[in-house]
Amino acid sequence: MHHVVLEQWSRRASRVHALDPRAKLVVTLLLLIAIATSPALGGAQFAAYAGLLAAVVLAAGLPPGGVALRAGIVLPFAGALAVMNWLAGDVARSVAILLKSYLSVFAALVLVGTTPVARLFAGLERLGAPRSLVLVLQFLYRYLFVISEQAQHMRLAAQSRGALERAPRRTRLRAPASAVAVLFARSYRRAEAVYQAMLARGFAGHVEPVAPLRLAGKDLLAAGAASGAILAIRLGL
Amino acid sequence: MHIPDGFLSTPVWAGLGAAGLSAVGLLGRRVQRELAESAVPRLGVMGAFVFAAQMINFPIAAGTSGHLVGSALLTYTLGPAPAALVMSAVLVLQALVFQDGGILALGANVVNMALAAVLVAHLCYRYLERSQLRGAGMFAGGALSVLVAGGLALAELGLSGVRIPPAILGLSLGLLAVNGLIEGALTLAVVRALERLSPGWVRKPEAEARPALGILLIAGLLLVTAGVLVASAAPDSLEWLAEEVGLAERARHLFETPLADYQARFIAWPWLAQATAGLAGLAAAFALSVSLGRLLIRRRRG
Repeated sequence: MHHVVLEQWSRRASRVHALDPRAKLVVTLLLLIAIATSPALGGAQFAAYAGLLAAVVLAAGLPPGGVALRAGIVLPFAGALAVMNWLAGDVARSVAILLKSYLSVFAALVLVGTTPVARLFAGLERLGAPRSLVLVLQFLYRYLFVISEQAQHMRLAAQSRGALERAPRRTRLRAPASAVAVLFARSYRRAEAVYQAMLARGFAGHVEPVAPLRLAGKDLLAAGAASGAILAIRLGL
Repeated sequence: MHIPDGFLSTPVWAGLGAAGLSAVGLLGRRVQRELAESAVPRLGVMGAFVFAAQMINFPIAAGTSGHLVGSALLTYTLGPAPAALVMSAVLVLQALVFQDGGILALGANVVNMALAAVLVAHLCYRYLERSQLRGAGMFAGGALSVLVAGGLALAELGLSGVRIPPAILGLSLGLLAVNGLIEGALTLAVVRALERLSPGWVRKPEAEARPALGILLIAGLLLVTAGVLVASAAPDSLEWLAEEVGLAERARHLFETPLADYQARFIAWPWLAQATAGLAGLAAAFALSVSLGRLLIRRRRG
């Protein structure tokens, strides 16, 4: 599955992986803004961004083909809109939509593929994201797979009870609605239990990353160099 | 409905990004202030519930099936501000980890699917609950939450200058309407089932009188309609209107110097013209609905 592969990538070791998540977040944001504001007909600029991203992928030891393939996730939607704009006579925009959306997803993949999600959230918090949002994100990600698994178990159980049979029309919505309600109830109770357990272990309203974030000289150097390259490309130096 | 990066023009993603960022900041602070400490981890688990609930299929008709989106359901169970925060977190996670929706477009997606959808669901419920139409309010809230979110996304694409042929636009709106009806029915069915399990989970909307929220609802709804209509139907008449008002000329002077590349020139004035026309339509429709609402209240009293 998609996120499992990304998790595995993010746990590799390389110079890019070792950088502070804040540095990577800021540089990614800068790159995305540069891509978004590039002129539609700036073919050379797009090639330069792609080159920059490819260099980071190689330095991080990620499989280039894998990243390129996964970034294609956006192509069906982008392709449909691009075709529409092409047919409407706006060729420049249709090419720009394809290139910009593909490069943006590629950049996001490089960020997530070199940064474990927990450190990404910690970086977001240090960059000033609201603490309650970050806390919700952390719990959301941690329990995502637990509760999805539960939903899958419930679906399997329902199927083995004969849920695939055709129900009369009036009650057809009732069974899956009850399943969602039961899932709600279980999630709610699990949340209570989780909180009790966390209180017992000394939770004080804040999740600390295992390895504290430290912005070292090499982080600033790497971020500065990357930002410089992006600005140079964008401003056409 | 998740807008990827690369589709929105700079004024649109930057504007909505600023709006979304500050709204989420306010929401985060408000939730922290108003909820018990135990509520915040619970919100995260409920976000995971939204992800998982989307995996449960509902048979619709003729072998097709749909699933719950969940913003209305969360609004009715957690309350509007926590629901909006949870939906925002869901969108952030989808953008970062699942590449579902862009990172720069996150603001737009948060405004569409977390803020507008939750607000509309909440207001439908609140207004209709008061007049003994609780079920109808929940159904309308679910349906409109999907319609408004999708309509806003289409309108934003239109404002960005992405050309969507009228036929495709009509098709998308039709599909949105169907999805909205499905979401309304599913929301209602799940709420009923929840009440059978434990009535305490479904909240009564707070009886606070804040007309500003009502105005926002109507504005949101109308922005959708106006934006989509503007984007699809009559670019020519709008051009004419803008020329007539002299806006185009002014806009060109305003925009050409600082953003002198191809894209900026292309966007500059259709964007402004569309926004102006949208705002004018919005004001007109707002006046209409306010007078309609007054009429209804007077009739009920009399």
